[in-house]
Amino acid sequence: MGRLVLHRLAATVPVLLLVTAGVFALLHLTPGDPIDAMMAESVDAEAKASLRKELGLDRPIHEQYAAWMRRLLRGDLGRSIRNGEPVIENVSRRIRPSLELALLAMAVSLLIAFPVGIVSAARRNTAVDRAGTSFALFGICMPNFLLALLLIFLFGVTLRWLPISGYTDPVEEPLNGLRSLLLPAVTLGLALAAVITRTLRSSMLEALGEDYVRTARAKGLSEWRVIRGHVLKNALIPVVTVLGLQLGTLIGGAVITEYVFALPGVGRLVVEAVFARDYPLVQGVILLIALGFILSNLLVDLLYGWIDPRIRYR
Amino acid sequence: MVLHRAARARLAPFGAAVLVAAVLVALGAPLLAPYDPLEQNLGLALARPGRAHLLGTDNIGRDVMSRVIWGTRVSLVAGFASVAVAAVTGSLLGVLAGYAGGRADGLVMRAMDAVLSFPPLVLALALGAVLGAGLGGVLIALGVVYTPTFARLMRGQVLAITAREYVDAARALGAPGWRIAWHHVLPNAAPPIVVQASLSVAFAILAEASLSFLGLGIQPPGASWGSMINAGRGYLQQAPWIVFGPGAALFVTVVGLNFVGDAIRDALDPRL
Repeated sequence: MGRLVLHRLAATVPVLLLVTAGVFALLHLTPGDPIDAMMAESVDAEAKASLRKELGLDRPIHEQYAAWMRRLLRGDLGRSIRNGEPVIENVSRRIRPSLELALLAMAVSLLIAFPVGIVSAARRNTAVDRAGTSFALFGICMPNFLLALLLIFLFGVTLRWLPISGYTDPVEEPLNGLRSLLLPAVTLGLALAAVITRTLRSSMLEALGEDYVRTARAKGLSEWRVIRGHVLKNALIPVVTVLGLQLGTLIGGAVITEYVFALPGVGRLVVEAVFARDYPLVQGVILLIALGFILSNLLVDLLYGWIDPRIRYR
Repeated sequence: MVLHRAARARLAPFGAAVLVAAVLVALGAPLLAPYDPLEQNLGLALARPGRAHLLGTDNIGRDVMSRVIWGTRVSLVAGFASVAVAAVTGSLLGVLAGYAGGRADGLVMRAMDAVLSFPPLVLALALGAVLGAGLGGVLIALGVVYTPTFARLMRGQVLAITAREYVDAARALGAPGWRIAWHHVLPNAAPPIVVQASLSVAFAILAEASLSFLGLGIQPPGASWGSMINAGRGYLQQAPWIVFGPGAALFVTVVGLNFVGDAIRDALDPRL
């Protein structure tokens, strides 16, 4: 297992270097002068010159990159142009709502996907299976901003059961906090549930066709015991892989979900920074999101190695 | 023969019908749209769906159906063009990586891994922001996001194909590398690329709609499904048709394209 960890970490280093280079280059992709783009409403030449100097844009590009990397290694991701605060502080203020949303969405997705996927596979080619696969198709094809508005219309506007926007801290007010996160979590979780359902059904059908399942049935085990004791663990391996692959979609979906429901998370911070043309904040947040994504994928790789011992010894 | 196999997939006819309808609507928008999509009529703002306006009107009296029809062009162009950009760029990079091998392979694949390290929508948002709002910026952003998938796929195909005997034979006969790549590698590597492209179009349309919803993509007063849905969400209680008209069009198009993509994948899968 130790060798697997070291091998994965070593493979991540060159990717990390290219990611930082890509994020650095982002500012320089702006057509024309990035300072003019950032301060489009301003005609103050002195303010523009001062910002240009502060961001190091008056120096040659290789010097800019070296200075940026040195700051990065010190943990300095720059400052927001809008509020002047360090990027790290902007993000740390917003990270908790995003993590709460992500965790609740994962819980919702697993609570939906597992029963639907298992029953769909166990009752293959029946009406129940067709309902399950239709649900999966619906979840994959439905844009999550449209699903969010559908849920808002149904549960917020028509039935008035849940709030349609805003955030209440669940630590301070657990019930109201949960209510404020429920619709966003269901929005985000349903799309993920659809993908997990499809994968789980497919991997369970494969496992149900194996010889060891035939043996277990021949020994007189009930279908539920066969599924629980033999099929499910083998069927979980592709599900873990898919969960890892879907992390990126989850983060992207969170950007839109936070925007629609006005949650003060990192996703909405990205959107606000983009439209304010606060490029240092955009760079910093994108880099942190990418680093988080790389680390999460690394953890999923290692989890995969833990679940399937055959992976560890390759 | 491939089309015949694709047509046998259960839901392929529905998918094909949706695709054909979408293309016809996009091409025939000037003839099919009952009103000018930009024409405002404040006296008829937020009108309910009825005989005169089948999908109602929006907050400044524009006919929703006409805007949905014109929005079909934006969605199809965005979907097909961005996937085309990604498929061509990714295939070229994949051929370079797979054929050249060594450092070129390592560099290209690490660069693709770096692009894949960003959540797709976040990367598209950041690129769209720096390239500027508008369809062009969105097309390039989505093209960049989808390129690594095609690059990896093509590289895998090139590595498998260049190990075959007919490529060895061509080399032995003195064929130059570019000729082998053009005549032997690319034609045999094409099917998985076609499958991936057909599966990607639906998601590219979804991605463009997402970016337009957030405010990138086609700018007002232009009609795009995502921006229409965003503009309509402030009137969800009084006029839900502003959201659900373009929403239904988007959903049906994506479902139909998914079925077409699945049918093409099943038709080209040598295992089936």
